Amino acid sequence: MEALDFALGLFDILLVFLVLSLAWLVMSSEDLFRAIVLFVAFGLLMALVWVRLEAPDIALAEAAIGAGLTGALMMAALDRLSSVKPIQKVAASAQRKQLSLSSKVLPLIALVLIVLGLGYALLSLPEIADGLTPNVKENMAQSGVKNPVTAVLLNFRGYDTLLEMVVLLLALLSVWSLGGERKLSPRSTNPILGSLCRVLVPVLILVSCYLLWVGADAPGGAFQAGSVLGAAGVLLLLSGWHVEQKYLLWPLRFILILGSGVFIIMAAVLLLIQGGLLTYPVAQAGWMILLLESAATLSIGATLAALFLGGVPKSRVDQ
Amino acid sequence: MGDLLTDAHWGVLLILLPLFGGLCSFLWPSAVKFIGLATVSAVALSVVGLGDQLLATGVYHHAVGGWGAPLGIDLYADGLSLFMLMVTALVGLGVSIYALDYFDQDEARRFWPLWLLLLGGLNALFLSADIFNLYVTLEIVGLAGVGLASLSGGGAALDGAMRYLMATLLGSLCYLLGVALLYHSAGTVDIPLLAERLESTPPVWAALGLICAGLALKTALFPLHFWLPKAHASASAPVSALLSALVVKASFYIFLRLWLEIFSVRTEGVDDLLGALGMAAIIWGSLQALQQTRLKLMIAYSTVSQVGYLFLVFPLAAIGTFSAWSAVAYLVLSHALAKSAMFLVAGNLMHFGGHDRIADLDRAVQRLPITVGAFALAGVSIMGLPPSGGFIGKWLLLNEALNQGRWDLVFVMMIGGVLAAAYIFKVLGFAFTQAPVTHEPKGVPAVMEWSALLLAVAAIVVGFLASPLMLILGIGETVELMGAGQ
Repeated sequence: MEALDFALGLFDILLVFLVLSLAWLVMSSEDLFRAIVLFVAFGLLMALVWVRLEAPDIALAEAAIGAGLTGALMMAALDRLSSVKPIQKVAASAQRKQLSLSSKVLPLIALVLIVLGLGYALLSLPEIADGLTPNVKENMAQSGVKNPVTAVLLNFRGYDTLLEMVVLLLALLSVWSLGGERKLSPRSTNPILGSLCRVLVPVLILVSCYLLWVGADAPGGAFQAGSVLGAAGVLLLLSGWHVEQKYLLWPLRFILILGSGVFIIMAAVLLLIQGGLLTYPVAQAGWMILLLESAATLSIGATLAALFLGGVPKSRVDQ
Repeated sequence: MGDLLTDAHWGVLLILLPLFGGLCSFLWPSAVKFIGLATVSAVALSVVGLGDQLLATGVYHHAVGGWGAPLGIDLYADGLSLFMLMVTALVGLGVSIYALDYFDQDEARRFWPLWLLLLGGLNALFLSADIFNLYVTLEIVGLAGVGLASLSGGGAALDGAMRYLMATLLGSLCYLLGVALLYHSAGTVDIPLLAERLESTPPVWAALGLICAGLALKTALFPLHFWLPKAHASASAPVSALLSALVVKASFYIFLRLWLEIFSVRTEGVDDLLGALGMAAIIWGSLQALQQTRLKLMIAYSTVSQVGYLFLVFPLAAIGTFSAWSAVAYLVLSHALAKSAMFLVAGNLMHFGGHDRIADLDRAVQRLPITVGAFALAGVSIMGLPPSGGFIGKWLLLNEALNQGRWDLVFVMMIGGVLAAAYIFKVLGFAFTQAPVTHEPKGVPAVMEWSALLLAVAAIVVGFLASPLMLILGIGETVELMGAGQ
């Protein structure tokens, strides 16, 4: 047992060292492509950090969103930047030369002070703080699910999640408000991508359903399931998935708002029946949460894939 | 029927209605104006309903999910929340009416969903009694604000929106880190429970610093205002009005709320720092406003200086009473009305002449008398001349400063008033003179002129409504108790 503890301690030290050095490399890298690849690696290591902190739910989300989809989003952005990149590089290097000594030293001093202050505050935190854990445990029987994280996200603090769904939708609306239209990419001629897509997409959909279902009892849930679904969407988009224009208007928008819409309607109905915002009847809480999560999974997946496209989608046939 | 009205969950409706309206307007782009106006009107009626309820029964309290703090989230509305909801509904209604004619169909389809979701976020923010829930609402407000700021397209708007995004995200993250420290220190994120449990320890101090810094950045308190002028000036007129009148006030409201309920007893020295930054903001913002050649930039810098006045309350309220806190609420209200009117006026002038160069306003007064009248009335309130709402707010603040012998504050407020008069009369002066540049003027729809005027008139009229408004502000006695308890 002691040997295991020692090994885990060494692993933790190595992990912290790797995470910090990767973070530094990401920021100091001049080549954006390299920075993104390093960032994805950083996200995977962060997922490991969450595992070591015994937060498997966050580890799953970090691996799927932090390492997976964020990387894809950044790659998509880099692809668009490719036409302006040379200019940018010149501008960046010019800016670097202009930085005077004081503009380097002053932020450094400020940062050191902030780090010292925060470090002191963190060290003087009470070592063991239960927070709300006992409270959550006490009420688990009434929550309708068996996974405490799902109970907090969908029941005890379900209102936060309702608003978070709106935040996600707003992210997409903000991207769309930039006004660009994006044509779906042409069918890929790359045979590897094609066969990869044929194998992976059904698997991803299955994994997504599993994560959604298992979220009631074990780590998993709508956000993890949704991001896996989003990854399937990204793969489909890359391989040149053909979607007719008529499905990109009303049906797409319907899926995008489904998660927050079902949440709001459920909240309003429960307000009328139970007299409280999102007050589930204990016996019905289980399936109501599953319904909310299923709708949220679809919306999260569609939103993430649409974010990857980066504009109002347009069918490629419809010229 | 009477029972039904006072028992209804107006507070919850105020959150669900605009969110639902936002989703509907996204789903049915062709009916976007109708859905938008209906939603904003329904929200305004719900605010009236909530006000009626609060006057009859005192504070509104709702345990979301039936759990109650600390496990669940509580909604809470007292006089201060109601006051902010009223400001939001009033300005929102005015700007919405203006937006009906301002945007073409394509822009309207993008504007309304963002604005309705922003409205839902603002209402949720003013009704929350939970610091983590406040973070989520801040995210809604921030992201919707960025989306709206980038709406007008073009390089300047995108640049402004990008700076705004960076600033607002940094502010949110600072706030969130502070929330994490407070949660770890006290085991709750509920504001009343935090007020009971928090002690003066290093983590609480760090949390106070982080939360104040994050919110000051979002409120654009000098010297953290660097993102505001560009973002507010390059957005389209209704958006600038919403950002300057409401979005900046939302983070200030959290500042005020946390200060009143959590941080008030633990803060020697911080209040003087905030006061000093406020004074610097008044002078710096006014001087910058005076130097601008573009109308919208001038109005944006005026916001920087008017935000400064709001922060003068912290040193005064340390030993002050109700009047210092009510002064700041009054300033929030009158600035929101006057500033939104001013940005709408700027929109009218740009629509009319195709530019917003102050020097080339070209006898606008003869061609757009209602618009220029709106600007003058809004200016009266910004300068703080009687009998406007701005006058009441500044007079209460000045009175408090005199009583406490804070001559530095008195001096800065006087200078700020004079500088405000200078930049407003500069615009009015050019509106009367004939410019050498002639151009093809475009007619301005009557709706756009009248909605700007109505908001400006409201900024004056609130100057006569001091006693009913103070009555509303006193509901729940949060403000009164905290002021007296010092």
